[in-house]
Amino acid sequence: MDNKDSILSTAHALRYEIGEDIHDTLVGAIYHDAELIASRVTSRPDGKKASTFGATLDRFLTNRWFGFPLMFLLLAVVFWLTVEGANVPSGMIASVLVDMVHPWLRDTLTSLNSPWWLTGVLADGVYLAMAWVISVMLPPMAIFFPLFTLAEDFGYLPRVAFNMDSLFRKAGAHGKQALSLTMGFGCNAAGVVATRIIDSPRERLIAIITNNFSLCNGRWPTQILIASIFFGALVPAHLAGIITAGAVVIVALLGIAFTLIVSWGLSHTILKGQASAFSLELPPYRPPRLLQTLYTSLIDRTIIVLWRAIVFAAPAGAVIWLVSNIHVGGVTIAELFIDWSDPFAFVLGLNGVILLAYIIAIPANEIVIPTVLMLTVLSAKLTGVGSGAGVMFELDEANAVADVLRVGGWTVLTGVNVMLFSLLHNPCSTTIYTIYKETKSVKWTIVATVLPIVMGLVICFAVAQAYRLVVG
Amino acid sequence: MTHTVSEHCEDCPVHNLGNLTRLGINMHQVDFVVALAGNPNTGKSTVFNALTGLRQHTGNWPGKTVARAEGGFEYGNKRFKIVDLPGTYSLLSNSTDEEVARDFILFGQPDVTVIVVDATRLERNLNLVLQVLEITDRAVLCVNLMDEARRNGIAVDVRQLARELGIPVVAASARQEEGIPELLKSIYEVASGTYVCRPYRLEKTSPSLEKAIGTLTAQLKSEFPDLPNTRWIALRLLEGDQKIIDSVKSGELKGLYRANSVNRVPQTAATAP
Amino acid sequence: MTDPVHIVVAAGILILAAAVFLLPRHGVLARMKRVHKDARRVMIEDALKHLHDCDYNKIACTVPSIAGALMISLDDAAALTSRLSAMGLLVPTDTGVKLTPEGNSYALRVVRVHRLWEKYLADETSLPQTEWHSSAEDREHRISPAEAEALAAQLGNPLFDPHGDPIPTAAGEIPPKKGAPLSSVAPGEWAVITHIEDEPKALFAQLSAEGLYVGMRIKMIEHTNLRIRFAADGEEIVLAPVIANNLSVELLPHAETVPASPMATLASVTVGEAVTVVGISKALRGQQRRRLLDLGVVPGTLVRAEMRSVSGDPTAYTIRGALVALRNEHAQMIFIERGERVSA
Repeated sequence: MDNKDSILSTAHALRYEIGEDIHDTLVGAIYHDAELIASRVTSRPDGKKASTFGATLDRFLTNRWFGFPLMFLLLAVVFWLTVEGANVPSGMIASVLVDMVHPWLRDTLTSLNSPWWLTGVLADGVYLAMAWVISVMLPPMAIFFPLFTLAEDFGYLPRVAFNMDSLFRKAGAHGKQALSLTMGFGCNAAGVVATRIIDSPRERLIAIITNNFSLCNGRWPTQILIASIFFGALVPAHLAGIITAGAVVIVALLGIAFTLIVSWGLSHTILKGQASAFSLELPPYRPPRLLQTLYTSLIDRTIIVLWRAIVFAAPAGAVIWLVSNIHVGGVTIAELFIDWSDPFAFVLGLNGVILLAYIIAIPANEIVIPTVLMLTVLSAKLTGVGSGAGVMFELDEANAVADVLRVGGWTVLTGVNVMLFSLLHNPCSTTIYTIYKETKSVKWTIVATVLPIVMGLVICFAVAQAYRLVVG
Repeated sequence: MTHTVSEHCEDCPVHNLGNLTRLGINMHQVDFVVALAGNPNTGKSTVFNALTGLRQHTGNWPGKTVARAEGGFEYGNKRFKIVDLPGTYSLLSNSTDEEVARDFILFGQPDVTVIVVDATRLERNLNLVLQVLEITDRAVLCVNLMDEARRNGIAVDVRQLARELGIPVVAASARQEEGIPELLKSIYEVASGTYVCRPYRLEKTSPSLEKAIGTLTAQLKSEFPDLPNTRWIALRLLEGDQKIIDSVKSGELKGLYRANSVNRVPQTAATAP
Repeated sequence: MTDPVHIVVAAGILILAAAVFLLPRHGVLARMKRVHKDARRVMIEDALKHLHDCDYNKIACTVPSIAGALMISLDDAAALTSRLSAMGLLVPTDTGVKLTPEGNSYALRVVRVHRLWEKYLADETSLPQTEWHSSAEDREHRISPAEAEALAAQLGNPLFDPHGDPIPTAAGEIPPKKGAPLSSVAPGEWAVITHIEDEPKALFAQLSAEGLYVGMRIKMIEHTNLRIRFAADGEEIVLAPVIANNLSVELLPHAETVPASPMATLASVTVGEAVTVVGISKALRGQQRRRLLDLGVVPGTLVRAEMRSVSGDPTAYTIRGALVALRNEHAQMIFIERGERVSA
């Protein structure tokens, strides 16, 4: 036997002698020495105790009476700032990109003798989809992410996880999922990336798969618009705002409920065997640095997410334009699909336009409503509204939108189901791509994609049947 | 530490180049490789950014950096490549992150391993430091977040710490770029061999484990006389680490002793396969 | 009347259906055949495992015992025995049957994979321990030798499975049996559990419901023909002798320092109280155990409870200068000592 083999067989034999505790023994010994060294080199020269600021703040933030209200208050402020603050810049960007640059681009292309279909695909399809995504997505993210990052830098978020853990533990998940969930309200792709902080494999997968149940900011406008048309309009004007907000909040809370239910389901079924380990470190509070935070959150989160969304939106814009302009046997592909899928969609309490819009607007939830409007006008052969086949548009007045939708055959049921379907459908393609990048697994990407859409179809179907039974 | 490659191993691959290339490091025009290790949430990414001028996202969170990042910098007319290892609490277990960090330090043989620790949690962080020092004897300790320690009334005697650990220790507040010049200087000194480390090594574990380690190190020493970290190798064998078992079997371990970097000629090395 | 399109569609569907059935590797027929073949192999392997068990425990194996272990009829067991015999894997003896050297090495391979899987499930997944055995039983037949070795490497080439059984090496070596039955421990003596038999399942479920684990230290209080009573981790456990027979123990010399009183756990610590860790329960394994060790939860560590979450669980502790939140379920498995070393 040569030397190397004898080393290995000695090692093997010795392993039986020392038993299986070697890891414990070793770590124990290392910490023993670490303690000695640390005690020799660290001191508290002023004789002062550790700063009490952190401890006091911790006591306050985890207080039984203040802990949760404070957390909800902060969250509410962040959302209010995001929604309110984003309105003006969103409008400004839209007016530049959609109202000024778009016609200019069309004219330029036409003057360059580009054929009508090329102008259509490029200006009305690709460009318009990108412009829409930027104007709807950028401002809220540019407000939401820095605020979130500030709380993160300060050290508040781990305390939120600490407080929320018990709820998530009961669902088989990790307290830190509270944060990826909240991040998901900004953008699901960013929420999925945020699950990196969860250092336990099973809980991280749960957080990734359920992140889509957080209503992302691309879906808020849809919710608000539909709610104001179908619920706000049911009550007197002075109550409309409250009812609309209430309906949207209910949908968002429903999303959180689904997150917990699905987390529980996953951890007790397909993810039962995945490894799990819990520990949550609560770092000391650090004074946040405003400029640095702004810079990194803009670069790392906002721009990257926005870039991915634009990349995916561009081809979708082309597809949207093409399906509304390619004619087969005298009708467009879009109309063919809408007519064909209408009976099926009816069973779900939706319509063909909505199904088609959700299929072709998969890259970004932001363009669903413009696409719905365009397709409704196209299939209902409306005149005087919109800018032509394949050109997405939005109307300033909710009333005008309501008129278009009513012509398209929308009822209260359609409104309710669109709100539900907007919550429960496949993640946008940016998110799907991000899930794949984070899990490196086709299987989990498919689960995360298919699960919500199946739930959406089932729930829409149930609601439609119940509604028709009751209302008739 | 004054051996040269040619004295001891005629036929083994020139230095650690092959391993580094295999670990995915582009060694083109690089003089020294620096590995960056540390616990999660010690400001490792901030140190990385301060050294390289890159802007990786950092946050008050354990475990922000997941993918391995690389960057470069120049100091004293030498080009350094710096590899940000996953933030880990330990190097002993078989989790992916720890394996990546452990294998890089052992098989990649970086010229310097910089360990970033949190001054306010020194004791906990020393766990990793002592483990790294078991593997390599070329390390620099960066005691980061000194500002935070000051705020909390904690003083860290870095000179005493350097004496205890036998490696250069630099006090830093990377967020304020404090201590970065000193860190660069220490990295340069260790890489170029002007500072010779005498790292702290664990001595007592348990009687039965020590006996086993003694038996095994004696055998390892006769087969691999130049190995600087025989004790660590023995420990890994006793933990059943397959990679180490394989490298004993294949004799790859032989190539893994520390050649003095001064003797390394990077320009020719860069053209080697 | 017949539209050519319809014919094409119908033909397409037929071809597709045929393909689904007849494809050489993924077709339904091929799969069914494979399942059948797999079932036969599973039978053989399970029988070999049973024979190895008899061998290891030095008891006689017979056709009825094979029938019992595999839950098959006597006729089937006899047929299986003759097939194994024809394959040269077993030979008859005076008292029954036993493995040939080839049979033994095959059996050891199966046992190795089984125990590696159990180790994997125990350490790297969060499957409850009552499911380790059946899940491993299921997977042990579906793994190639190369996969088994990769698994062993990933686990750091473990020596024992979570029930305390030695894992045969790749070369087919297995250390001789150690440990004595629990009934051999006299009242007042200390012992450590070295093995918990995982079959039959109902008995194992009872043992694991009592919270017993390999490496647990126990102190015998009394044993009679009716019951065996002992203290473990500060709790008193009473077992019927028939169940207790499924435990193997090793006597601990009296010199061992074992706390005499029930051990308190970290979960019992009130906010503001500082205590010293004396150990982590062996029942806490895998990633969670490593995490605690990494954070510095080792014997001798001073831990102070700082605050509880709004909902009462988890609790944050100062551990070696860091504030770390641990869940109650894990704190319950960390043994502590009050007094001494404690400073505010």
